Amino acid sequence: MSLSLTPRSTRSRQQVPALELHSAEPWPENAALYQQLKEDQILLSDNAASLAVQAFLQMCNLPVRVVCRANAEYMSPSGKVPFIHVGNQVVSELGPIVQFVKAKGHSLSDGLDEVQKAEMKAYMELVNNMLLTAELYLQWCDDVTVEEITHPRYGSPYPWPLNRILSYQKQWEIRRKMKAIGWAGKSLEQVLEDVDQCCQALSQRLGTQPYFFNKQPTELDALVFGHLFTILTTQLITDELSEKVKNYGNLTAFCRRIEQQYFEGHDKDGSAAASARSAKRSLLR
Amino acid sequence: MASGSRAALALGRGNGACGYKPPSQGPATAPEAAPPPAAFPSRLCCRGRSGAAMRGQHRCVPRACAAGGQDGGSHGAELLGRRLGAAVPSSGVSDRHADVPVLISEDTVISQPAKILNFLRKQRYNADYELSAKQGADTLAYIALLEEKLLPALLHTFWVEAENYCSVTKPWFASRIPFPLSLYLPGKMSREALNRILLTRGGPPLYSLTEVEAQIYRDAKECLNLLSKRLGTSQFFFGNTPTTLDAFVFGFLAPVYKVCFPRVQLQEHLKQLTNLCRFCDDILTCYFKLTITGHSPSGQDTADANLQKLTQLVNKESNLIEKMDDNLRKSPQHPPRKITTLKLAAGGEESSPLNRLSP
Repeated sequence: MSLSLTPRSTRSRQQVPALELHSAEPWPENAALYQQLKEDQILLSDNAASLAVQAFLQMCNLPVRVVCRANAEYMSPSGKVPFIHVGNQVVSELGPIVQFVKAKGHSLSDGLDEVQKAEMKAYMELVNNMLLTAELYLQWCDDVTVEEITHPRYGSPYPWPLNRILSYQKQWEIRRKMKAIGWAGKSLEQVLEDVDQCCQALSQRLGTQPYFFNKQPTELDALVFGHLFTILTTQLITDELSEKVKNYGNLTAFCRRIEQQYFEGHDKDGSAAASARSAKRSLLR
Repeated sequence: MASGSRAALALGRGNGACGYKPPSQGPATAPEAAPPPAAFPSRLCCRGRSGAAMRGQHRCVPRACAAGGQDGGSHGAELLGRRLGAAVPSSGVSDRHADVPVLISEDTVISQPAKILNFLRKQRYNADYELSAKQGADTLAYIALLEEKLLPALLHTFWVEAENYCSVTKPWFASRIPFPLSLYLPGKMSREALNRILLTRGGPPLYSLTEVEAQIYRDAKECLNLLSKRLGTSQFFFGNTPTTLDAFVFGFLAPVYKVCFPRVQLQEHLKQLTNLCRFCDDILTCYFKLTITGHSPSGQDTADANLQKLTQLVNKESNLIEKMDDNLRKSPQHPPRKITTLKLAAGGEESSPLNRLSP
């Protein structure tokens, strides 16, 4: 069944039964992960999400190549990047991708008991609630960052005036959402305070263990790695955000460990390592 | 959005015997020289939401309905307050504050649950002293889980579901808001709730409101299952003493559990999870019981004993006052003296109910 020609609404309804239909198929060699252009276009929050998915797939030992497209956001079934194209399926965002991979028979959290699974889900929500929202706030609601980094980057593949229209549209959408959840009234200091609180919670939970749960990584480790590595290696107007993370030594050690284990050891899979290496260079033009 | 507001209210009342310790090396609290926990000279204003809740408990049969809040947080706030001995009566309706719940302490007005909790913590009312660092981190994580997964369904049940809104929520809130705001504010809160649900959960591939509703109720049921698994058979989430997380969870669950709605799919799911129901009932009986005088005891023996002592002292004082009155009346050249507020040598937490009893 070819999904690429069906309109979006029917595609979403077909996706669920198709999962069961295709779950018996093994993971193909040509699986692709789509994100925006690495050097010029991708923003902090999208890069974090993409890196989290890449880390997760690496941890499951599933090969995927990273494809950069300027319109990745519009190709995605949910409007968010990254999304993976596996066989005839298109799945976006970490949550659905984890479920999709589980339907294929690969899972990182099978060894956890019920209470640990509840904890893992709670911590993933904490990261989404605080870290991701703080990243979005910094990118789209902090005027200096918006003017100097976000607007130039977001619309960079498109000619004037389309680049300005698209970035203002996105900014308006994000600011509406921030207002609805009550973050619009927060100052930058308060947002950084929240980031610090979240990092403190993650650091306390991690303690001296190599991963969050026992000795095996789970999707929580992938998600935390994606966000923290991006924050540490992205150069913004100021270093305040990355300083907040650097205060916690075990978190930086955690990021380094995962990078060494999953991204530098796979040189034959050049795309994953390359994306991690390029993330190290600053995203500031 | 006041997502921990019930938690903050709960922080204001308490039994005084639970969780509070003078700060030896406690986290984060100001290291001032410590007077004993002074009277908490504050009022917790619960306009609309919890105010309606307090009134609502007389409407909902058979048991006290402890809720009505938009998002469940305010009740947990009240609970934590009660637990920690700060004498916070929940007064009914105040017109001045657009954002509930609101804690008014002397001249300070604090309006969001997280801020209320921080304020209480700075006043040295903290339920989390006995928690380890990891448990403190777990608290934050579970609160985030509640806000992401359970809150949209709660908002929907109260404010968006047409039957529920028209037959329960709107009359409830409108009865506590003065005219003419009662015609406008409930509608505004309903629109804000729908807006929030659609903006946070309503993106593609969900294209219609029914699909969004189905998804948020699925998420809410999954969240309730996770909470039930985490609670297991223990009395509270971290052992035998309640903490901030218990207050937050109670604040979110109690409205769903107790309010009598026409459309109750979430309530039916919750009632299947017996340990969560038992958790809510325990907290309701311990911390939210009303006595005949209308003063809510904190539910422990120490508070009852204090109340008895207080009543005896007050009776003695009032006898003395009557005698003085008689003397004065017999000597008409002296004008009758105004009786000012009684001063008692009793401990701090009685002075607030005392102020209510004094003339």
